[in-house]
Amino acid sequence: MDLSPREAVPTAVGKPRKRPWLAVGVLVAVLAGAGVLVFKFLTNAVDYYCNVDEIGVKDGCDVGRSIRIQGVVDQGSVTGEGLNFVISYNGQSMPVVVGSKPTGIFSECVPVVVSGKVVENADGRVFEGREVIVKHDNQYDAENADRLAQGEAEAAACLRKD
Amino acid sequence: MDPTASTPSTTATVRRPTSTRFTRGLGVAVIVGAAWVALFGLVLSPNDALQKTGVRILYIHVPSAWLAYLAFIVTGISSAGYLWKRTRSLVWDRVAGASAEVGVLFMGITLVTGSLWGSITWGTYWTWDSRLTTTAFLFVTYIGYLAVRGLGGTLHQRARRSAILALFAVLEVPLVHFSVKWWRPLHQNESVAEGELEDMMLFTLFSGIVTFTLLYVWLVIHRQRTLALDDSVAEHGLDAALAERRQEALQ
Repeated sequence: MDLSPREAVPTAVGKPRKRPWLAVGVLVAVLAGAGVLVFKFLTNAVDYYCNVDEIGVKDGCDVGRSIRIQGVVDQGSVTGEGLNFVISYNGQSMPVVVGSKPTGIFSECVPVVVSGKVVENADGRVFEGREVIVKHDNQYDAENADRLAQGEAEAAACLRKD
Repeated sequence: MDPTASTPSTTATVRRPTSTRFTRGLGVAVIVGAAWVALFGLVLSPNDALQKTGVRILYIHVPSAWLAYLAFIVTGISSAGYLWKRTRSLVWDRVAGASAEVGVLFMGITLVTGSLWGSITWGTYWTWDSRLTTTAFLFVTYIGYLAVRGLGGTLHQRARRSAILALFAVLEVPLVHFSVKWWRPLHQNESVAEGELEDMMLFTLFSGIVTFTLLYVWLVIHRQRTLALDDSVAEHGLDAALAERRQEALQ
């Protein structure tokens, strides 16, 4: 009878992690974080997203309701360092009053999304905004592209003369 | 019979580098690519008409997002490779794990750079927009995936449970990508495929995507090799302990 020990064979049964509690802790934090994300997204989605021309027309875009409104800042309408301005969309306009100065690339003729609600006063409807966010489309143009184009055109014209 | 003959501690001296001639060449290509992107991104490409110099963040943000998508898709494919009986191997599992780690890193970079860009352009670091929220959810999901990989058990138990999770998690990638079409988001639509980028900006962005892809390949190759070494240590460490106990029994 052979009583010598068996050869050690490579095993794949070792536990590769010595601190599974750390992984369990991360997993609990991840689940909590995912829950917060879903909750915040859903509660934020309660604020209906309306274009200026949909106010009082589309379901959910009612006067007095907390909404987000989208429009383009009218040229020459910005006063009070950005605290007052007018936005328009599809031929309809809406004066906006905000509590703090908008940041980002806010300026005239840029599309914005304002969170707040429409109120009616003696002068008509006004949008009382809590937050202004500038919307940027997927078009990117070089700064002073017009001057570059002009320079290139002049250079091409000059070459033709030669 | 010498009971110490099979002690695997002798294998610990075997040198197993994680680099090869190919990966060293790849690494050099990544360094050259990074310098190229820095030159074009910081010096040669023009300012944007509206965002001014803030547009340069995109040369990191967009390639990072692309890399993270790629990484999570590779994790999904590798996980399927492990679960399919014909191709079952821990190599698939290690590639999946390595790719997910790289993906999480670059998804984090995507969120940070996006937040900085948002502050400059939108006027806010964060908003509960559909693209932003789904991206954060994807990030959190893959941190969870990595946590599941660390829960313990045998290597094949780890591989099986994380592969199943990865097959569900990868379904979030199209959700994030198409969120800008399915909801009314603040985030713009695809800038490269559908947008209108000035020629030099597009070229710089494309250079960034190519360089980041090479970086991804380099990182995953190295990481899956270090994971293989980790697994090897886990296996041989146990073997060494068993051999030691056997030796004690013989004394």
